[in-house]
Amino acid sequence: MTTSADLVSAITDMREDDAIAYARELVDGGTDPVVILEACREAMDIIGKRFEIGEAFIPELILAGEMLKTVSEVVKPHLKSEEATEAIGKVVIGTVEGDIHDIAKDIVAFMLEINGFEVTDLGVDVPVAGFVKAVEETGARIVGLSGFLTLAYDPMKATVAALKAAGFDGKVMVGGGQVDESIRDYTGADAYGKDAMAAVTLAKEWSGAA
Amino acid sequence: MRIIGEKINGTRKRVAAAIADRDAGYITDLAVSQAEAGAAWLDLNAGTLPDREPDDLVWLVRTVQAVTDTPLSLDSANPTALEHALAHVERTPIINSISAEPGRIEGILPLAARHGTGVVALAISETGIPETAAERIAVVEELIGLTRSSGVADGDVYVDPLVLTVATNNDSALISLDTMRMVGGEFPDVHMTVGLSNVSFGLPARALVNRGFLTLAIAAGLDTAIADPLDKGLQAQILVTEMLLGRDRHCLEYVRASRTGLFD
Repeated sequence: MTTSADLVSAITDMREDDAIAYARELVDGGTDPVVILEACREAMDIIGKRFEIGEAFIPELILAGEMLKTVSEVVKPHLKSEEATEAIGKVVIGTVEGDIHDIAKDIVAFMLEINGFEVTDLGVDVPVAGFVKAVEETGARIVGLSGFLTLAYDPMKATVAALKAAGFDGKVMVGGGQVDESIRDYTGADAYGKDAMAAVTLAKEWSGAA
Repeated sequence: MRIIGEKINGTRKRVAAAIADRDAGYITDLAVSQAEAGAAWLDLNAGTLPDREPDDLVWLVRTVQAVTDTPLSLDSANPTALEHALAHVERTPIINSISAEPGRIEGILPLAARHGTGVVALAISETGIPETAAERIAVVEELIGLTRSSGVADGDVYVDPLVLTVATNNDSALISLDTMRMVGGEFPDVHMTVGLSNVSFGLPARALVNRGFLTLAIAAGLDTAIADPLDKGLQAQILVTEMLLGRDRHCLEYVRASRTGLFD
């Protein structure tokens, strides 16, 4: 008989077909959908930790994310409405004005989403006012500013300042390319993240979900 | 195949510290070792904030030129930094780089034309890195239209068709190789270069991936690469590839390299 532990190992071993088959078997066997989703979260935690120590790699993060999405689709129709997964928190993310690099930003947005955040992705070359407007519209408490070029640092700094001036009292993280602690300091952001998992860790801490 | 030596790059922590502390010894060691390993140009990237970049880049130019005659690749998107650096450059450099992004041509292409420099042209449009080879060649056509109308000869243009990591898109290398073949067909005098190591981002054993891609890219028309000239594995891979492509008469370079112990 299939158990939720089987699902966890199938996901962490990157056995996509097994993972989806197990999720279906669990649902059909009457396992509580919440337990199945919890198994997915556990699997993502394991993969995230392996990634942090260099034992898992980006293609595996992406595949794991895809498995998670498919499993969620299998499980969702069986959730009672009040159990429908509530987002841990809302995040507004984008590549700042003057920079059009999106790959790393897209991975961060994807990882935040599959870790339970509601992500508003503003895309690339986002003007300062775009971030301010999005935060006001969504009520997000976390903003992620991405930039690859050194020319992105000034727009990052301007965006942080504009958010504060507009009364935003949530947290801002910066990342991308050459961004490090000194750039974080320059921009006035609250933290910098070196990769997608760091962004997830920060967002969880800030949302009290760590 | 010519290498633009990549090591003097302020986005590397140790180099950033050397630039901040004006530690000329560290920089000149990197310059001399890359030049002796056969780099055709030495890339200089100050990696600093825009207001510091002109001074930092000029310092790098002067520091490196004091110890080597190898031409430079001025790696900046900042017209002010490039203009300052060009005033101190002694041998015709390459400007690295322009693209079809806003602000990445206007201030820079006139400098390249006026100083007769080479120029790296990235296949990036105002909406980002195009996903398909057809869209990338369209950006290259636009850029070469602009370099020609500015008076820059095709032989001074180094098109970078860009390669993204295969970790996030399994067709990344194919898209780049297809673009290279199209560039070679349409613009036979234009050179082609690429930032090699992007292809392996996020993967284990990256050197293997970089070398495999290099071989395919040379076959597709690549004649320049931004890379570590001290990487013996890479040097060996270039020699092997050029021999297999019939460019090493009587296999002389290959045999010579084997005698000097390059493959040990």
